[in-house]
Parts: sequence; C-alpha cells; structure tokens
Amino acid sequence: MFGEKGYNLIKELARSEDNLPPYNSDLVNEISHEITKQFEENRDDAQNSTIDGSESLLLNTIRIRNGASKRNIRCLMAYHYNRLKCLRTMRWEFGSILPPDIKANLSSDELEWFSNYSKTLVNYMKSIGEDGINLAVDLKPPKALYIEVQCLVDYGRFELSDGTMLLLKKNSRHYLPRSECEELIRQGVFKHIS
Amino acid sequence: MDLDDTNLEDLNDSNDSEDYVHITPAEVLELMEETWVNEKFAPEILPNKTEVVDIILEQIKSMEVNIKNLSNDDFTKNIYQLEVDKLRFMVTSYLRTRLEKIESYVVHILKEEEKRVEKGESKYLSEQEYKFAQDYSRSMDRYFNKIMNFCPNLTSDTWSSKVIEPNNNSFVFMKSKKTIEGLPIDITNADSDLVDIKSGSRVIICYSSIEELVKNGDVNLI
Repeated sequence: MFGEKGYNLIKELARSEDNLPPYNSDLVNEISHEITKQFEENRDDAQNSTIDGSESLLLNTIRIRNGASKRNIRCLMAYHYNRLKCLRTMRWEFGSILPPDIKANLSSDELEWFSNYSKTLVNYMKSIGEDGINLAVDLKPPKALYIEVQCLVDYGRFELSDGTMLLLKKNSRHYLPRSECEELIRQGVFKHIS
Repeated sequence: MDLDDTNLEDLNDSNDSEDYVHITPAEVLELMEETWVNEKFAPEILPNKTEVVDIILEQIKSMEVNIKNLSNDDFTKNIYQLEVDKLRFMVTSYLRTRLEKIESYVVHILKEEEKRVEKGESKYLSEQEYKFAQDYSRSMDRYFNKIMNFCPNLTSDTWSSKVIEPNNNSFVFMKSKKTIEGLPIDITNADSDLVDIKSGSRVIICYSSIEELVKNGDVNLI
C-alpha cells in the first residue's frame, strides 16, 4: 500500500523516545524508490493521456499517486529532521565527541552534519565577549558550591583547576566544587548523591 | 533568583570600573534578570541585548580576578564564588535559550531579519548569532540536499517549505511596569475589547497583544 513504509519509518523513531535507533537506510531507500516510481508513473500517464474518455480515469490515479508521494516526502523529512534534533541534544549532553555506541547508529551524512554543527557552535561560543564563553557548562542553576559525588568507574587521575590531583576509583566518594564535576557527571563517571 | 547586590558592589569597589558611571552593578543585574526571564517566556526571539551581556561578562571577569586575590582561608571567598556562578548561569542560560529559538525557527528568523534590514531597522540577532543562524541553515540545506537528491523533481528547499514559526498567540504571564490604557485583548480584531492595566499588576494575556510592550520594556514577562 502507498505510504505504509513511510508510516513504519516514523513509528520506529517515535517508539524510541530518547535514544537514537540505528539509521534505517534500507527503509529510507525503499521509500525513496517508491517516490521516484510514483513520479515516473505519473509522468508516463500524463504523457499518454489523450483527449478521449480515458483521461478522467487517469487523472484520479495521478492525483492519488501525487498525494502518496507528497506524504512519503513529508515522512522522510520528519524522520531526518527529528533525528537531527536528537543529535543536537546529544551535542549538548556529551560534547563534541560522541560515545561509540551512538556513533554506530548514525549515517555518514548525519556524522558530517554533527561535526558541522559542533563547529558552528564552537565558533559561536568563541565569539561571545572577549575570550569566549562555554555555554555547555552551567546547565542547571547553581544551588551550592560543593556537591557530593560518587565515582562509578575507575577513572584514574583527575586534576582540579587549582592543581590538586585526585585519584578517582570506583565507588569512591568525593566532595568537589560543582563546576569541576559537571562534565564528568554528564559523561557518567560521577553520580550526584544528595 | 535572589542575589545579594551588596556583594557585587563590594567586589567592584576594589576594582574601580568607572566606565559605566551611569549604571550601577545592581541595575545591570536587574536588567540582565529581566532580559533573561523575558527571553525565557517569550515565544519568539526578542531583540538582542548584547550590551547587557557584555557588561555582565566583564563583571564576572573582574569579580573572578578579585576572588583569586582572596586567600583560601577567607570564608567569604566561597560566597563570592557562588555569586559568580549564579551570574554565569544567568548569562549562559539566556544565550542558550536564544540559540534554541534560532535553531527551531531558523528559516523564519532569517526571513524576518532580511525584512528588517530592508526596512532599515536594526537586527534582532547579534552579529555572532546571525552568523550562527546562517551557518546552521546552510548545514541543514546541505544535509537535506543530500537526502533528497535521489529524485530530480525535488528541490533543495523542500525542507524549508514547511516553515516552523513561533506561536505568538500563546498566552503569557506578565507584570506591568507602567499604567497602560486601552490595550486591545485581541490584536487581530479591530473591535476587540480594551483593557487598562495598572502599574505593577499581573495579567495573563495573549503574547501578540503585548509584543511591542515587551520589546520596549514597558512590561515584563514572568
């Protein structure tokens, strides 16, 4: 049936809310193929149509095909656009380097877009004020200067901005300035315990 | 957000910033807070306030220098540090909100900016934001071009043909700074009812009817 594949594509994306499912290039190709086919059939029919009685019949077919291909295009757009939006959120969460398991789910075009977006963002952040400002930190309003965190993995040595060295071992607890550990919390190295 | 203004002034006294004689740190702070909250609650992007942001950024810088000079044992050091963190959060959150809006409505915003330039009005986006918007829109163009090139009938602007626009008819909470008389409730309707708003009163109202008032600073969104 016309448009069914497009629907499936959208459904797949909508079901996995926060995490990005693998890029479904097979389905995308099939839909692209369907659209191209509909265009070609329409073109042929339009050329073959004569002034005799068969014209009105053909007109309806053409209309339906046209509607179906438009819908398919919308589905493709929505699929790609929403994936980009998801990627964008990830740029803010993980920084410019994506975890490998997410990277594996992306198409090469998406990776290219991501690095472009990263570049645009970094350029923007550099251009604010005199020496730039990092917008990717301070995501939550600060309530206290220090927070208690638990280390979830064996991270190794970690240097604070005042030069103190820390050895981060699994399950060790630390009482650190919030600004220092914000990024590690997002990377999943620390867990904030209150 | 509750900031103790005296702290700001204390820190600034030691570093005489005579450049802004007309405006005290407390006033800048108030202005920044206002700008930030307005931006947060307005559905569309508001005119940029680069001056305020720049002043605040400089404040942060000078405060950080002063903090560094304090000894580690000084109890007040932590309090100052928290103060700076709060300031920085406010600025970054403001800029982030604007970026989010630019990304969502990039096609619409760039079109509006073009119109503004044609009319000779000043742009809403700051120079850097404008560059960001252009870069962003270009990368979207390129991406969708690649996806849609399987069929020659499709043009590259397919993705931007359905423009996402901010909903300016959404309702917002506002607080008035002045007494405003005869404000139309429904701005699209010529014989809409008019309301008078007293200074300091709080109202829920359609954003489109107070759009201009927000931009010229007569009312605040809350």
